[in-house]
Amino acid sequence: MDQVVEINIQGLSKVYKLNKKQMQESHTKNPKKTAVDDLSLTARQGEIYGLLGPNGAGKTTTLRCIATIIKPTAGQVYVNGHEVQKEPEEVRKCIGFLTSDIKLDPQFSVDYMFDFFGELRGLPRQKIKERKKELFDYFQIGDFAHKKIKELSTGMKQKAAIAVSLVHDPEIIIFDEPTNGLDIITARSVTDYLRKLRDDGKLVIVSTHIMSEAEKLCDRIGIIIDGKKTAEGTLKELLEATGAGDLEDAFFEYYKAAKGEA
Amino acid sequence: MKTIYKKELARIFKDKKMIFSVFFLPVLLMVGIMALVGSLSKSEMEKIQEHKSIVYMINQPDSFAQFMEAADFNISVKDIATDAEFENAKTKLRDGDADLIIEFPDNFDQVIASYQEGQDVPQIKTYYNPSEDYSSSAYETISTQGLEAYRQILLSQRIGDLNGIQIFTVNTDNPDMVVQDDQKASGKALGMMLPYFITILLFAGAMGLGVDMVAGEKERGTMASLLVTQVKRKSIVLGKVFALMTLSGISSVIYIVVMGVSFPKILGGDSGLNFEVTVEQIVMIGVLLVAIAFLYSSIIVLISVFAKDTKEASTYITPAYMVVLVIGLMTMFTTKDAGTMEYMIPFYNTALALKGILVNEVTMAQYGITLGVTLVLGAVLTVAIAKAFESEKVMNM
Ligand SMILES: Nc1ncnc2c1ncn2[C@@H]1O[C@H](COP(=O)(O)OP(=O)(O)OP(=O)(O)O)[C@@H](O)[C@H]1O
Ligand SMILES: [Mg+2]
Repeated sequence: MDQVVEINIQGLSKVYKLNKKQMQESHTKNPKKTAVDDLSLTARQGEIYGLLGPNGAGKTTTLRCIATIIKPTAGQVYVNGHEVQKEPEEVRKCIGFLTSDIKLDPQFSVDYMFDFFGELRGLPRQKIKERKKELFDYFQIGDFAHKKIKELSTGMKQKAAIAVSLVHDPEIIIFDEPTNGLDIITARSVTDYLRKLRDDGKLVIVSTHIMSEAEKLCDRIGIIIDGKKTAEGTLKELLEATGAGDLEDAFFEYYKAAKGEA
Repeated sequence: MKTIYKKELARIFKDKKMIFSVFFLPVLLMVGIMALVGSLSKSEMEKIQEHKSIVYMINQPDSFAQFMEAADFNISVKDIATDAEFENAKTKLRDGDADLIIEFPDNFDQVIASYQEGQDVPQIKTYYNPSEDYSSSAYETISTQGLEAYRQILLSQRIGDLNGIQIFTVNTDNPDMVVQDDQKASGKALGMMLPYFITILLFAGAMGLGVDMVAGEKERGTMASLLVTQVKRKSIVLGKVFALMTLSGISSVIYIVVMGVSFPKILGGDSGLNFEVTVEQIVMIGVLLVAIAFLYSSIIVLISVFAKDTKEASTYITPAYMVVLVIGLMTMFTTKDAGTMEYMIPFYNTALALKGILVNEVTMAQYGITLGVTLVLGAVLTVAIAKAFESEKVMNM
């Protein structure tokens, strides 16, 4: 495969139409909610790109647009050169997507789910077996592989979901808050695995609101506030630009600036 | 598609509780209800037969008393004379404590004996309570049949040879009176009920499963995990519709077999239902059932796709279920032969055809039309479902 591995977002906007109930809940009369506002970014092979932003900033929405789960209102998203609206199936083939609101069927065992998604991804049996061994070993899923998903703890479920989302060894890994709900040991094993994937030449894009995680894990960070990209760069670049001592301080600088403008 | 299909089936078959609740519980319930109804109505009938009718008589003539004794009716007679007693008897009749009152005119025997042509004929009055089963039955056997026989006796006493006035008789000696095709007769009985039950059972069976397969999957958040794979939306839809079709098909076959076996038994051994189906009929019914299962499955999946969660889906599906129920009832009670036009109406035609096959009344063309209409409609709905899958709004994203 001599294709470029990259995600290229150009002027992405996503406007949700709210229904009556949602409008009531958010105390607004405006039936439209702009979750992502003219956002552009490029993430390349061999890097871990972090979307950093407060709650409701539009991180999940952006990732879902990339993963073809929702359609952009405006702008283009290219994944390995395939536009998400024009060639959604091509895009789906090369991504692994994980988010908290995508779940595995609780009635089935991890083992079954892994095979199931392996088959859906069109993998031959032998390949599924190899992948299973690798991922189950790495995440120590073997112990509970035959338990039903509903009998698992949050951490186990998350591990299972990660393993299943990687069954087809995707070139692009899109993880929405992958360490959410995990203890530090499990979280560390997940971030370590993401580093390994990057070193294997994959493109990893994650969202987080945990500063320390972004600081340590991400090669480049895009700060999103209110659906807009306010800053982008390596940790060093961000710190230099704001003159802050750590990412948290730098983040607050950007946050104040963004809110001050508004 | 095959993978999805397999998974949906595995979901049911791996779970013993599911197998039970999908396939066996409804059958058990059905058989239970039918057995209950059967035995209740049977014991009710026996009770009526065993019941000693309480009959009040006013001015009972000797000839009638003799007649009653000879006829050996299962009754206990109480003679009354006064108006007060009569009123009292009427109250008892109203309360269900008495079954029948027979009022003869004074000196009935003498009036009959001294009758001359041109005189007024005496009148016997009977009173009964139609809302009481015992009373109705006493009225039927004693007042209608008994008094008629009594009249015949008195008549023969007066005329001598009854044949003199009997211009002709109807069916007094004709054991072959009932001429009907046994096949058709028992087919009719089955044909009335079978389409009805099949439609209901198929739909009811598919309803719960289908709602869970689609709306449930949305609710659990597992649908999105399918949508991020490169599997075509169409394949997901077809996998689900076919899985639902298979499951509801299996359960309806189980139903039919169980009903076929237990129905005659429940209704009391040999109820004249000597029914034989030909291989051809079975094949025709089988193919049609598959088509119906396909149509119903696609309806249920379509509705479930548009619902936010299982609760909403069930609410939306209920009206559709009602429609199917009413249509089933309609075919149960229409007796006139259906024209080819009627075989064009979806839903209705399937019930008609099922019935038609059982009573050998459906033509190949009509059967073909039914099958075609059903399959085409199912296919159209399936395409609509696939379209709906593309919409993020519908998929609740
Ligand atoms: N399906 C939806 N319908 C309507 N509005 C939505 C929908 N999903 C998200 N939103 C709104 O869009 C905005 C961005 O949401 P998003 O989930 O992308 O934020 P996030 O950055 O992932 O936040 P968090 O850190 O809390 O996960 C929020 O204001 C949210 O209320
Ligand atoms: Mg989020």
